[in-house]
Amino acid sequence: MIEITEHTRNVLLEVAKKKKIYVEGNFLKLLKAPKGDKEFEEYLKLCKEKDVSTRKKRLEVTKQVQSQNKDLVAKQEENDCLMAELQVALEEAKNATWEAEKLKEEAEKGQEQALEDLELMQKRSQFELIGMIVRIALIVICGVGVITTIMYAIALTSGHDTQIIGSTWSNMFGILLTNAFSIVGTIMGVKYASEKDS
Amino acid sequence: MLIDDENLFHLVFEDACSILDMALSFEALDSSDEADALFKKWFPDDPNHERPECVFVDLNIIGSSYDGIEMIRKINYEYGDNCVIGIISSSEDEEEIERAKKVGAQFWIIKSDDIEPRLEEFMEDYDDYRVKKAPFKIYR
Repeated sequence: MIEITEHTRNVLLEVAKKKKIYVEGNFLKLLKAPKGDKEFEEYLKLCKEKDVSTRKKRLEVTKQVQSQNKDLVAKQEENDCLMAELQVALEEAKNATWEAEKLKEEAEKGQEQALEDLELMQKRSQFELIGMIVRIALIVICGVGVITTIMYAIALTSGHDTQIIGSTWSNMFGILLTNAFSIVGTIMGVKYASEKDS
Repeated sequence: MLIDDENLFHLVFEDACSILDMALSFEALDSSDEADALFKKWFPDDPNHERPECVFVDLNIIGSSYDGIEMIRKINYEYGDNCVIGIISSSEDEEEIERAKKVGAQFWIIKSDDIEPRLEEFMEDYDDYRVKKAPFKIYR
């Protein structure tokens, strides 16, 4: 404990009276009033009361700030959490868009493929039809050719007049050959054109 | 001495101690490294140096090399073990409390907005802590 000298005591009391300045803080706990000095004892008591009151006020304010700080930190954490969730949602949306685009591309490819298949099927059925026509035409041509030739051959061997059947055979054969070449030419043309397309 | 990373709590604790007339001098440190350096200087280099009578250590000291329990272990086993020491934390984790007991913590004060009643209760047991008579206690 620190014992105060007469001069210090008087100065402290005067400063308190005139300027309302009091000793405060832990230093105050070290001060001791001289024995029987009621005035200085009262002064120290007042100083302590003021110090406790100031500290109490400061403590309240600090506690409030501390509590607000805690709330702010909690809100910041909540915000960070929401931001992270938002980021995840954004990533998911991006992925979904990317998936949708991919699916769209696949669908377009599928559509193109289907159209190509359809075209191919149409061409194939066209070829089959042409093939059938050609086969029938060739059978007809060959059949007529064979029948006319047989008739002509019979007429020649049996000594009948061959003038009409001969010119018929000749004309028929000419026409048949011309038609046959025309059909073959058409088939080749169609085949060439379809190969070029595919 | 208080070792706590939360500067606002330094003010709260200092004012509470002053209002309760707990201590004449008070020192607050915000990292265990800082405290470690101080204790290292006092012990073994200068064992007669005046050291804190009582040390309150926060459990999680953010920004420090080790937590409060490790700090207590160091003080008790490496730096002389002659002060009242314990944890002051908002945590009530049983595992951590057991860890603290094992390294020689003498008390565990739950940190909250209303710290004064706990400190008052702690003050009542303080003399027993000084002579290492008091059992480990949690101030809730």
